[in-house]
Amino acid sequence: MTSRRDFLKLSSLASAAMFTPRFLMGLPQHRPVFEGKRLVVIQLSGGNDGLNTIVPFGDDRYYRLRSRIALPERDVIPLSDVQGLHPALQPLEAMFKDGHMSILNAVGYPNPNRSHFRSMDIWHSGSDGDTYLDSGWIGRYLDHACAGCQAPHQAIETDDSLSLAMKGEQRTGIAMGKPEVLARSAQDPFFVASANHQPADPGGDLGFLYKTLTGTMQSASYLLEQVKRVPAPLGFPVSDLGRQLALVTQLIQAGAETSVYYVSMTGFDTHVRQGPAHQRLLQQYAEAVAAFREAMEKAGQWEQTLVMTFSEFGRRAEDNAGGGTDHGKANNLWLMGANLRKPGILNPSPDLDKLDDGDLAWQLDFRRVYATLLRDWLAVDDVAVLGQRFEGLGLV
Amino acid sequence: MDTTAFRHLMNRAGFGPSPALWQQRGKRDTNEWVAWLLEDSRGARPLQASGAETPERGERANMTEDERQERRKEHVRMLFQLNAAWVDRMASGEGMLCEKMTLFWHDHFACRFPTILFTETQHQTLRQHALGSFRDLLFAISKDPGMLSFLNNQQNRKEQPNENFARELLELFTLGRGHYTENDIHEAARAFTGWGFTLGGEFVFRRAWHDTGSKTFLGKSGHFTGEDILNIVLEERQTARFLTEKLYRYLVHPQPDPEVVDTWSRLFYESDYDLPRLLLEMLLSDHFYEARNLGARIKSPVEYLVGLIRAFGLEFQDERGIIFVQKALGQTLFQPPNVAGWPEGRAWIDGSSLLLRMQLPRLLLAREEFDFAVKQEFAGNEEPFRLDRDFRSLQATVDWDRLAKGVKVSELPEFLLAVPPRSDWKDLADQLRGPMIPTQAGQKAAISLVCSPEYQLL
Repeated sequence: MTSRRDFLKLSSLASAAMFTPRFLMGLPQHRPVFEGKRLVVIQLSGGNDGLNTIVPFGDDRYYRLRSRIALPERDVIPLSDVQGLHPALQPLEAMFKDGHMSILNAVGYPNPNRSHFRSMDIWHSGSDGDTYLDSGWIGRYLDHACAGCQAPHQAIETDDSLSLAMKGEQRTGIAMGKPEVLARSAQDPFFVASANHQPADPGGDLGFLYKTLTGTMQSASYLLEQVKRVPAPLGFPVSDLGRQLALVTQLIQAGAETSVYYVSMTGFDTHVRQGPAHQRLLQQYAEAVAAFREAMEKAGQWEQTLVMTFSEFGRRAEDNAGGGTDHGKANNLWLMGANLRKPGILNPSPDLDKLDDGDLAWQLDFRRVYATLLRDWLAVDDVAVLGQRFEGLGLV
Repeated sequence: MDTTAFRHLMNRAGFGPSPALWQQRGKRDTNEWVAWLLEDSRGARPLQASGAETPERGERANMTEDERQERRKEHVRMLFQLNAAWVDRMASGEGMLCEKMTLFWHDHFACRFPTILFTETQHQTLRQHALGSFRDLLFAISKDPGMLSFLNNQQNRKEQPNENFARELLELFTLGRGHYTENDIHEAARAFTGWGFTLGGEFVFRRAWHDTGSKTFLGKSGHFTGEDILNIVLEERQTARFLTEKLYRYLVHPQPDPEVVDTWSRLFYESDYDLPRLLLEMLLSDHFYEARNLGARIKSPVEYLVGLIRAFGLEFQDERGIIFVQKALGQTLFQPPNVAGWPEGRAWIDGSSLLLRMQLPRLLLAREEFDFAVKQEFAGNEEPFRLDRDFRSLQATVDWDRLAKGVKVSELPEFLLAVPPRSDWKDLADQLRGPMIPTQAGQKAAISLVCSPEYQLL
């Protein structure tokens, strides 16, 4: 005899099967767990003060330039004779000591721009300082990635909308700020009916719109399945970055077929009274990233994961009268992961005597980092993605 | 005028018909409607942030930090107002063609400023010449203090030329890539040395900073000034072609027909860049109304928003809602991403922006629940249009009577969409047979039509 509960269970299963939307039919029901390499990009928005992040405590000029906000040598966590971590980055000390961190000094690009928007535009698109591109480097990675990587969920941004970096010429990643919001869309009857439609001219703009809708709905359903498969991870700090990295962790643990995750953290535009604000931001950053590494190691996924942290520019070498710093040019950038070929500090601390109009002068073009990640980590044609050849850095 | 053609004309030369205009569609023929569009846009059409006085330009050095904060807040308040006032003007339909062209020039000469002064002055310049002569527009915008500031010409002096303005003038504003050399940029930059603006925001030619030497530019040599460079650039037929092609993409089809562009650009050149002459030619041509052009373009977020407001008589209870929609969909007026302007066509669409476009009408017109946060602000004073991340005050009121007065329920698809709704849309036919707006069926049909992928086209 069938109990009422069993009956309900059966009927809900039956109705779920009966109502599998057409746009989901023909897709593999159980996909293999993703074993490929993945990149996690952490964007620090607003222009992180690199000089007070990776601190040149061994350089007297740093103390002369920053009489108001220099970090005393005794507080800095030394990494070399010259440079060390801001004390708030203590949770990441082990990362460096374990050889899981590569720091690159003075990363930038020719004709640097001190506008947040323009400089972020350049970092997202990978353009030269005086050219303009409508697409982003990760989006173009999707354009050129393997044939099986066509789904939007190949690259996920943990926000409600997509950044330029995630938009290619043909393909785009998907934005997933909150899974429950995506869930509502994926189950919306009007969207489902529209996603089932196949327009007469698939090549036209209308065809493009329907294709985008169907692809998004497929990816949304797929991602929801993944999120349901494993519980939300514990041990992440209560912060926006913590929430985003917890979601990334959940998706990785579920085996989501995603090779790029894009997360960001804002508030780094520290023009006045920088000290306490910067301390708090770096602490949030470090705690979230340390929790992420721990979770990845526990899940046996750290080997396959590489984290890059960047900001659109660094800040002026000299501090300002308000105890803050103004927009600058070159900045440091760091990678984290278990497979770094050159852990440690890759190039010399910035030369504080040879400033470019008061700012750190760039030594390494950021696109050399992109080229390295694209070719050596994501295994894609970096020249096709970047439109130019950049010498690799042999980092991974 | 034929309904489809009327709809197409109003979509492209404006922001779609209002219900009242829709009712009038049969009263004029094509010639008369096009003439009406131009006539309705005649004369100066200034726009100001409503009711507020422009903050004085003062010596910032003499201000306390509190006063500066206060001043910044005032600028931001006025920028919000100017943005909302422009959206309102575009949606009103008053001088529609002028508004549509001002939007075109705002994207063509794309600058962004954190303050109201440069923003407003530049906007008036664009507006004033939007439907005049491109020659006048080019001269005016090249002497516009905002432009000179945005492209660093204030720092362009003979000892240390700054090439930024000269480069964008050739690459983005007139000739387009591939029609000049790096040396042309260098020489043009020399000719613009000394062009700047005063503290009071007036154009000034600083003779002492000007390089009076001989320059060779596009094959011509002489002791050129900035004006000479602009004249030489306008002598190039390529300039007319570059602009005609861009305008073709805006008004006709994203993939230009080279022969048509050729013909039109010759006419534009020979009229000495007379914009009304070119627009008349375009809007009256058979080519403009060809089937391949109907619904062939994806709306920009501003076209989407303005069209929605216009069709439904939407009134936002909080004007920040207007900013929210722009930011969420990726196009905030007065904040282009860079000097090359906004992307076009398919670049507006990704999964999240499409889902959002398909959800917003339900939220605005049917007050459904909604959860979406705009990107986190990161840019301090550079970002005047800031919204709290948890901003959700998107309530708007709809004027259903206004819609019902001008549009029959059965006409809704033609009124709202540039292409027919999808054939397998089950409930739609029933709803369209239903009673008049503002009853449930009619409203439902209207709302779902503007939630469709088809609505994204114009």
